[in-house]
Amino acid sequence: MLDGFVRGLVYVAIALGLTIVFGMLRLVNFAHGAFYAIGAYVGLVVAERLGIVAGLIAAPLFVALFAVAFDRLLLRRFYDKEPTSQILVTFGVAIVVQESLRLIFGGTTRTFPIPQALMAPVNLGFTEYPAYRLAFAAGIAAIVVLVWLFIQRTNYGLIVRAGIRDRTMVQLLGGNVAMASTIVFALGAGLAGLVGAAASPIYSVDPDTGFSFLVPSFVVVVIGGLGSFWGAVLGGLIVGELQSLTTLVLPAASDVVIYVAMALVLLFRPSGLLGESEVIRG
Amino acid sequence: MSDPILETKGLGKRFGAFAANGDIDFSVREGELRAVIGPNGAGKTTFFNLLAGVARPTDGEIYFRGERITHVTGSQRVARGIAKAFQTANIYPDETVLQNCRLAALARVTGFFALEVLRSSRRLAEVDRIANEALELLDLQPLSSERAGDLSHGDKKRLDIAIALATQPRILLLDEPVAGMSLEEVHKTDGLIRGLAKRMTVLLIEHDMTMIMGISDSITVLHQGRILAEGTPAEIRANVTVQEAYLGGHTEGHL
Amino acid sequence: MRDLRFYGLTVLGLVLFPFAIHPIGGYGGLATQILIVGIASIGFNLLLGYAGLLSYGQAMFYGVGGYMALLTVSRFFPDHPNFWLAIVLAVAFVTLMALVIGTLVVRLYGIYFALLTLAFAQMFFFIVFKWRDLTQGDDGLQGIASPPLGLGPWSIDLTTPFPALDLGPFGNLSDLHYWYVFVAIVTLAVLAFMRALVRSQFGETLAAIRENEERSRLIGFDPKLYKLAAFVIAGALTGLAGALRGLYETSIAPDSLTVETSGNFVIFTVIGGVKTLFGPLLGTGLVMYLQNVVSAKTDAWRLIEGIVFVAVIVFLPGGVLGTFGRKRARTDLARAVRAKPETTP
Repeated sequence: MLDGFVRGLVYVAIALGLTIVFGMLRLVNFAHGAFYAIGAYVGLVVAERLGIVAGLIAAPLFVALFAVAFDRLLLRRFYDKEPTSQILVTFGVAIVVQESLRLIFGGTTRTFPIPQALMAPVNLGFTEYPAYRLAFAAGIAAIVVLVWLFIQRTNYGLIVRAGIRDRTMVQLLGGNVAMASTIVFALGAGLAGLVGAAASPIYSVDPDTGFSFLVPSFVVVVIGGLGSFWGAVLGGLIVGELQSLTTLVLPAASDVVIYVAMALVLLFRPSGLLGESEVIRG
Repeated sequence: MSDPILETKGLGKRFGAFAANGDIDFSVREGELRAVIGPNGAGKTTFFNLLAGVARPTDGEIYFRGERITHVTGSQRVARGIAKAFQTANIYPDETVLQNCRLAALARVTGFFALEVLRSSRRLAEVDRIANEALELLDLQPLSSERAGDLSHGDKKRLDIAIALATQPRILLLDEPVAGMSLEEVHKTDGLIRGLAKRMTVLLIEHDMTMIMGISDSITVLHQGRILAEGTPAEIRANVTVQEAYLGGHTEGHL
Repeated sequence: MRDLRFYGLTVLGLVLFPFAIHPIGGYGGLATQILIVGIASIGFNLLLGYAGLLSYGQAMFYGVGGYMALLTVSRFFPDHPNFWLAIVLAVAFVTLMALVIGTLVVRLYGIYFALLTLAFAQMFFFIVFKWRDLTQGDDGLQGIASPPLGLGPWSIDLTTPFPALDLGPFGNLSDLHYWYVFVAIVTLAVLAFMRALVRSQFGETLAAIRENEERSRLIGFDPKLYKLAAFVIAGALTGLAGALRGLYETSIAPDSLTVETSGNFVIFTVIGGVKTLFGPLLGTGLVMYLQNVVSAKTDAWRLIEGIVFVAVIVFLPGGVLGTFGRKRARTDLARAVRAKPETTP
């Protein structure tokens, strides 16, 4: 159960970035998994030399910078194009990233070096659970709240939310939509990168990690609702739990079940559980 | 008095709390030329969209030639004989003018679906005949091989009408056919619509009052989504409530 | 005259192909593989290039086609393995699959369509993976010799090589097997079919729906049925390719149903040129050449593939063939590929 919860949180964090970018930029980003993977590797490399904390700081920063470069150089041209070309170009970049990682780091699986203290299980009364995973869960929850606050309470968040409704109007009113867009895109990417680094002690890292987390993230986002903040949260938790529960009941179906769920949602309620919103709202 | 060819009872379209159309009891007889007028925002285009099947009503029923078509899809309505020309010309920009009409004619001749994966549509002489007929009526023959997207605004609107005609409708819905046209083009279109009205029922949305008054058999006035008044052009011209409604709206020409 | 040119050039190309690639490191087997996968790419192109539908799940038809063909030979009719039966059963099954899935899928657009096809493909992947009794799971089916091809009184073993004949830089004739001839004939048939389809009434209507779906609906066409038909035809072609692959390789594994495989069809077709007849083949050839020949020289081949793919999308949206093909085709393509969903100049 708890494992499902933790896995669900990973999905939530990745899906958040994905859904925010879609809701805000109307952009379908197949490269989102790549952000996760880059974060994982950067975190790994930095942590090996400078310790965990440095790793957890460096990863999101690096990924955010990468995202900004990606956006400025390449993605801009595709903002108003039809989703097909957006999917294609982000898919292409995801492959380039995956293969670059493979060339740089080799194809073998790597694990994050964590201090022994954090590996020890914590007694929760009804069960024991590794300390790191608990810290991880708490961390993700805190981040979700922070992102929510950012979007709801800050000026940039406001510009973003208004910009979705009417880009031109916001620009006329003096709001810097381009800047806000870039910031939110970088935010989504950084989030994925942070989770990539933070989750790598739990799920080992290899170059294919990007895609292996991307596809379930889309499942999450679809179920929760493309563009909905709390939809991503709800969706992530549901998918995580669904997977772990099915493993207990009917192990053979545990992988299939999330895709069946996604198909059902797409067929009967394509806007997702919490609906597709124009603005990121709860 | 013959049965109406098109009739609505209590037709309404609501978007949340806002009612674009409400409680519309409308009927038109075969062969009539009925103008639908009203200030901006009165719900005229919405009304046409409901009739053509582009939008689904939230209340009420629609009857065509006695049959209930409220839940019949737009493409099936075309097959039954209801055709709509769009307010903003909706054409195939990358095809030639002729091909635009041929496609409509093709749908007419072969129906909503045909798995004809090996033979070309050129084998169907009927398709070319219908398409060329429609083009001739709209005086678009000289432009047959032009790329539709390159046409002038006025020509695009005429092409849009030609496409609708190529589906061989019994009733034609024209949404602001002369908007943005030069005086000469308006005159030509006026003559065209009169000619069409002899062969089929025509429903017309327009703001050009001079044209409306001259051409229509009868007029329906919409205001805030509901029918305000109906009658002959003379009756409508004299109707005080109609005049009042227009003082707040926008119109070309005098009532 | 144009027909003659098409058939003439295509036959010539198919005949010369396995020899032409020899000097640059290719070989007969690769040529066969390229054609087989190319057939699937052509199917994909019908969906993306002509119907405007981006499917991320074609691998399900490819893989299931392969499994069905091999299972027919090894499991369903082990005493009377029949080549044609394997192919027919595989294609029939996949066609049915496409019909059912297609009915559900064509209701959706854009990203939702792509994601739903992905979801179904993943479902099939995991079903094949887990159903060990039938599919041997992760190990896949192996060592299932292809039955001979029966043509009237003749029974042809497709693995027979041609007689040895040294062709200098173009290799040796014995490098080529009868398989290539068979696959080449199938490819020719598929190309001829696609060519006819694109010019046909169906193709014309599909193009109209792609250009302006709303207008097409309001002149009386039913876009869903046309998209469904395209989906089924594409699925059948992909299944045929899968069946051929299975019989040719004598084995098949679940990796024929992965997202990667689906993604490959996307990459091959986009690089080669969507909305062109030969584009998918060209793209398949280029990338598979990269995969097989360049991979021996450097590990960076997949990276190169990715970079080329992105470059094509950004700079050459019509693909290689679309950009360097005839001028009229180029402008049509660039416009069509760049077009926004609601095109009103």
